[in-house]
Amino acid sequence: MLFQAFHHRQSISVLLALLLLSPFGCVRSEKRTPEIVSEQREITDDAGRRITLPRQVERVVSLAPNLTEIIFAVGAGNRLVGDTSYCDYPEAAKAVEKVGDTLHPSLERIIALHPQVVLISTASQLEVFTNQLQNQNIAVFVTDPHDLEGVYRSINQIGEITGEVERAADLVQNLRARADFVEKSTQQLPKVRVFYQLSAEPLYTAGKDAFVTDLIRRAGGQSVTADVPGAWPKYSAESALATNPDAIILPTGGSMGEGNSSVAEALRRTAAVSQGRVYKINDDHLARPGPRAVDGLEEIAKVLHPEAFSR
Amino acid sequence: MKQATAPSPADLRVSSRVTNRVTLSKTVISCGLLLVALVIAIVSMSLIGSEHLPVKASLCSLMSLGNARCGLTVEQFDILFQIRFPRILLSAVVGASLATAGAGYQAMLRNPLAEPYLLGISNGAAVGTMLALVFFGAFEWSRPVFAFAGALVATLSVYRLAHGRAGATPERLILAGVIVTTFLSSVIVFVTTLMDATRIRSFTFWLLGDLSGTNRSLLPVTICIAVVGVVILAANARALNLLMLGERDAFDLGVEVKRVRIVVFVVASLLVGSSVAASGSVGYVGLVVPHLARLSLGSDNRISIPAAALGGALFVIIADSIARTLIAPRELPVGAITALIGAPLFIYLLKKG
Repeated sequence: MLFQAFHHRQSISVLLALLLLSPFGCVRSEKRTPEIVSEQREITDDAGRRITLPRQVERVVSLAPNLTEIIFAVGAGNRLVGDTSYCDYPEAAKAVEKVGDTLHPSLERIIALHPQVVLISTASQLEVFTNQLQNQNIAVFVTDPHDLEGVYRSINQIGEITGEVERAADLVQNLRARADFVEKSTQQLPKVRVFYQLSAEPLYTAGKDAFVTDLIRRAGGQSVTADVPGAWPKYSAESALATNPDAIILPTGGSMGEGNSSVAEALRRTAAVSQGRVYKINDDHLARPGPRAVDGLEEIAKVLHPEAFSR
Repeated sequence: MKQATAPSPADLRVSSRVTNRVTLSKTVISCGLLLVALVIAIVSMSLIGSEHLPVKASLCSLMSLGNARCGLTVEQFDILFQIRFPRILLSAVVGASLATAGAGYQAMLRNPLAEPYLLGISNGAAVGTMLALVFFGAFEWSRPVFAFAGALVATLSVYRLAHGRAGATPERLILAGVIVTTFLSSVIVFVTTLMDATRIRSFTFWLLGDLSGTNRSLLPVTICIAVVGVVILAANARALNLLMLGERDAFDLGVEVKRVRIVVFVVASLLVGSSVAASGSVGYVGLVVPHLARLSLGSDNRISIPAAALGGALFVIIADSIARTLIAPRELPVGAITALIGAPLFIYLLKKG
């Protein structure tokens, strides 16, 4: 029945097409098999995916500023061949070829840079995009740090990818020592209740999954919105007033520029404002889960507990 | 889609005195009922929110118009009168403005689908507000002014585009609206891409319509514009009734068509502009509410315009109360709620009509 529907000419062309396609199919599958198996290695990323990488990684593209900072911090900056327009630290990151911003990278430019691995910052970023890169035999490594431990993990992973395992371990050891010192200094002190104002209008704050919630806890504080689901929830103004925080942190400066430098109207009647406990902290230290997050931790601790760091 | 039915010219002339009296009492009764419902909604919605307030004390304090604390703590009192009540007031004003503007456009353009959001007029106001934010960020009075300008430009563009040599058809108007909407959406996307990351976040949220950032310094202006706008459009209701017969017939019956058209376009743009500057583009209010008003009270604009104003206030108060309590203490944009209620209701009306 089905064959009757075919015209002769059509069935011939279908046959021809099949004949023509088959050799190409073979070539393709040959190309995909690894040339020398021993030169490959496998590592697992934060999304639980097994990634196959060449033993020596010489060309890396980073799609997030925190990852760029980690790459430079472990001494692999010379292997970074592409990053985003948000990547502005260290200074050398600005000179690296730009592939767009974190949310809208140019697939063509990334492919043209021939990276061996592309590092991305959360599992939710660019699912389709990841598939397209994998079809080009470009490995995609996903990092997803939710706390300071996650940052240490990212640093070690990037050290492993770039073959800078020792420098990464040293860096983690150093950062861990600084963070431990902060935690130890503030551990015995009463917790300061903090409202983290991500933006005033509309009012956004840090929720359960936000990286900064962990920083505030380690700095001897307690985010009053630590139990709110999600990372960056839009928050009710009246609930914000009702939390009546002891201190308000405004992430501002850095790539935020002058943005978010005043307290939301709803919070102006809180104890924090009447006692002058509103603190502006460099957003780049709080929003980027990279090595400078420990700077952010120290800055938060110093404003929440100045008495512990007066010497 | 059936057009709203209009009385024939003969009917209007012969029985005008009788209908006037009937219309007046009908207007007073229906608007009185809506006003009572509105007051009940304002009071009852003031009692719910993400924070629980003692009901009796809150009621007592509300009845005293904020002069008595009635045992509320300072913080509870602030929540009630500094945050919740101004927001409900803004909801009412935005709802009244958008619904009245919708009723005005529908009568003037003789098209039941004419709505600020669907014609791209809200988008025009949004582009205006955005430009004010980018270039005059510190000067907040620039927002409603630019929003009004944007709304007026969008209104005139849609009107010009819709009027070809063959005159305007309802389909042509909607197509013109689609073109203006998509063009302005592209402008919005273009500008937000150029803006820095933090402003984009607040802007995209705000484009859906959001009443959480109730700007108290602009609230009195928004209220004044709404009151003046509703009164002017209601005062032109008789002319709008005659315009439903067609512009030529209305002209023959003594309506100054050009003057009425300018008044309606300017006032409706002002209403849309001031509400978009205060709360972003809250969709479907200008569509659903005037439809319901005409469906239940008839197509006489002398009744349906004031009824739409009160009904719009009621509609947005309820929608925003859902938006701020459904997933408390987190919040939803009110525009998502009005669309969720409005779109299915509109489909129902379309099928029924």
